Amino acid sequence: MLLHLDRTFESADAEAEHRIAELYREFGGPLLRHIRRSTGNDLQWAEDVVQETLVRAWRNSARLQWEPGLIWAWLLTVARRIVIDGRRRRSVRPMEVEAPEIDVLAVPDGAERSLSAIVVADALRSLTEEHREVIEQTYLRDRTISEAAEILGIPPGTVKSRLYYGIRALREVLRDKGVAG
Amino acid sequence: MHEEVAAYVLGVLDEDENEAFERHLDTCTACQAELKRLVEVPDLLDELKHLPSASEDDRSR
Repeated sequence: MLLHLDRTFESADAEAEHRIAELYREFGGPLLRHIRRSTGNDLQWAEDVVQETLVRAWRNSARLQWEPGLIWAWLLTVARRIVIDGRRRRSVRPMEVEAPEIDVLAVPDGAERSLSAIVVADALRSLTEEHREVIEQTYLRDRTISEAAEILGIPPGTVKSRLYYGIRALREVLRDKGVAG
Repeated sequence: MHEEVAAYVLGVLDEDENEAFERHLDTCTACQAELKRLVEVPDLLDELKHLPSASEDDRSR
């Protein structure tokens, strides 16, 4: 009886492993190339993120029935969140020694800034203050909606809503500038 | 719920909100389409976040 159960688990495990290996073949390479950029080229970290992303994909395998473009968008989003969570854990930052409020847009356009960084900074500047502010206070500083809402003194729902219209507006500007599809 | 797609794609929702939105995404084709449209925006914003970029290594032979 127990032996039988063991076998059942074993075969389930084997099947899972097989499926995850398949996902690796299909998405591993492109995901790794993509994630490496957001881990500051930390290959070990990027590989861990790919693995965690594909395990989540396997656990939510119904989503793998979506069309390829949507699967890809979802995997990238899952991976990005894992990277952000990792970055938050790494930068153990107590509130008192909060990183200084550096102005990401004020960084001089020196040689180390890529052309697209300049284009993106320009696009961000062209948004309304309300839209720019929520993008800066959430994504650009690795903060959640709730944290940004507290800092800005507005309800979380308002942050979400402004973020929605702000990100859509940003995409439009970037598309006009030829850097977004 | 639909407006959360931007916060979702940026990865700035709380854990439980993130899960709730993914469940919404399973059945909402409008949000699925929006996710595909918006997914490259955070990558472009990353240009502002990581100044020492991957290309740095390429340049230093």
